[in-house]
Amino acid sequence: MTIVYAVVLAALAYYAWYDILGPNFTLAFRPLISGFFAGLIVGDVQMGLLIGGTLELTALGVYTYGGATIPEYSVGAILGTYFGKSQGFEVGLALAIPAALLLTQLDVLNRFLNFVFVHRADAYAEEGNMQGFDRMMVVFSHMIWGFTRAIPVFLAVAFGQPVVEAVTNFFNGNPWINQGISVVGSLLPALGFAMLLKIMPVAKYPAFLLLGFVMYAYLKMPLVGIAIAAIGIALVFQQIKYRAAEG
Amino acid sequence: MTTETVERKLTRADLMRAFWRYVFLFQCGWNYERMQSVGYAYSILPILKKLHPDPEDFKEAFLTNLDFFNTNPVVGAPLIIGAHIALEEAGASYESTEGLKVGLMGPLAGVGDTLVWGLYNSIIFSIGASMALGGSALGPILVILLVFFPYLAVRYWQFTWAYQQGSNLVASLGGGLIARLTEFATIVGLAVVGGFAPSIVKMTIAWKPEITTTVQGQAATTTIDIQQQLDNILPFMLPVLITLLAYWLLKRGWSPVAVLGVLFVIGFIGGAIGLLG
Repeated sequence: MTIVYAVVLAALAYYAWYDILGPNFTLAFRPLISGFFAGLIVGDVQMGLLIGGTLELTALGVYTYGGATIPEYSVGAILGTYFGKSQGFEVGLALAIPAALLLTQLDVLNRFLNFVFVHRADAYAEEGNMQGFDRMMVVFSHMIWGFTRAIPVFLAVAFGQPVVEAVTNFFNGNPWINQGISVVGSLLPALGFAMLLKIMPVAKYPAFLLLGFVMYAYLKMPLVGIAIAAIGIALVFQQIKYRAAEG
Repeated sequence: MTTETVERKLTRADLMRAFWRYVFLFQCGWNYERMQSVGYAYSILPILKKLHPDPEDFKEAFLTNLDFFNTNPVVGAPLIIGAHIALEEAGASYESTEGLKVGLMGPLAGVGDTLVWGLYNSIIFSIGASMALGGSALGPILVILLVFFPYLAVRYWQFTWAYQQGSNLVASLGGGLIARLTEFATIVGLAVVGGFAPSIVKMTIAWKPEITTTVQGQAATTTIDIQQQLDNILPFMLPVLITLLAYWLLKRGWSPVAVLGVLFVIGFIGGAIGLLG
């Protein structure tokens, strides 16, 4: 029976990430939703609601902006609900949070390993091979995402709490690993923004980048406000520029 | 009103095929090197295939659309894909289609992330989580309903709207306006990225050295808050510097994966020894 739970909960962890990558039908990667689904699977919906709801409130507004890595709340909620059912809410939550933080590291690895798809895609494009590319996308493109979540869930459920505790204790005994990874996770979006800047004509219009920075850093404006101000600035800029050009 | 001068080469079935390909796999191949590029190419590929019957021409279109791409997947991506299809159908050059993608992805990333994740999701999930903690399974069910239908509707609407607008614009105004619109979007995009980057990239000095000095025979310990000193000089100094470092390395021809390695080493060592937080 444990193995059945291990397989089904692992499948849920896989689905949770596939859903956010593509369909966005249920947002099952949010702990509220994955906790609820896990509760339905293990037959303890109340536990799923409690674990999922608690984690959700710590994760509100935490999303993968610019490709940032965030704690693995869906796996945390799934494992927390499973272990909470047999050992109570406190034990479940005490497992869920470190599990979510530990698996953050796999997300960085996953987003890195996915470079294989882009290089395969280049090869398919050189051949003009649409069928091959489509097959790669449909069959393989979500596998690294899915299995980096599904395998830890499977192992944790199949081998039980002693394994989870041993792993957690190892990382608690070596806090430098998590400290290092958490700093990596929070500064890696710098790469995403650098790539965006590289393809935008920064040298041609440096003033607008500076204005955006000043509005955020000094005027503490929210991003929507910056966007609205920027629309105004762009309108004025183009009015002046094209009036001059048209004489 | 406006007379249709663009010849329709695509059917509704072609458009829907691109839309569903976008819905089911858009971010699956996401990676640090080119981010959403493979998902973008996957979405638009049947359109490219149909509009570029010459095999060499198709290869070039395929390769061009594997370039770096990243924006908000819900509010942003369908709009860009829809507008791109309209331009592609009108026979626009790669320069204008790439200009459209690059010009819009930045602004829409900022606006879409703020609206969808920051605002809408925070509201529905805080309501759902409170109901769940009160013991009601209606909490998550309500959230799923408020995700499933509105998300799909918003994505479909953007896609079809942008396709219609794109065709109309091309039909009535030609290329000059596209350049002007792209410039407009670029300006907005640069301003949003200027604020968005420091709001997301986090890097602070966690190390607070203590200095013990002897003043008139008494030992006095002072803690130096380096981060606060830096904030006084320039807020978000370290996030700005690390982003500029990554930008500079990319400009010098480093591959994204090599830059990733540099950032990883800086972050991991800095975090592990407790210097950065």
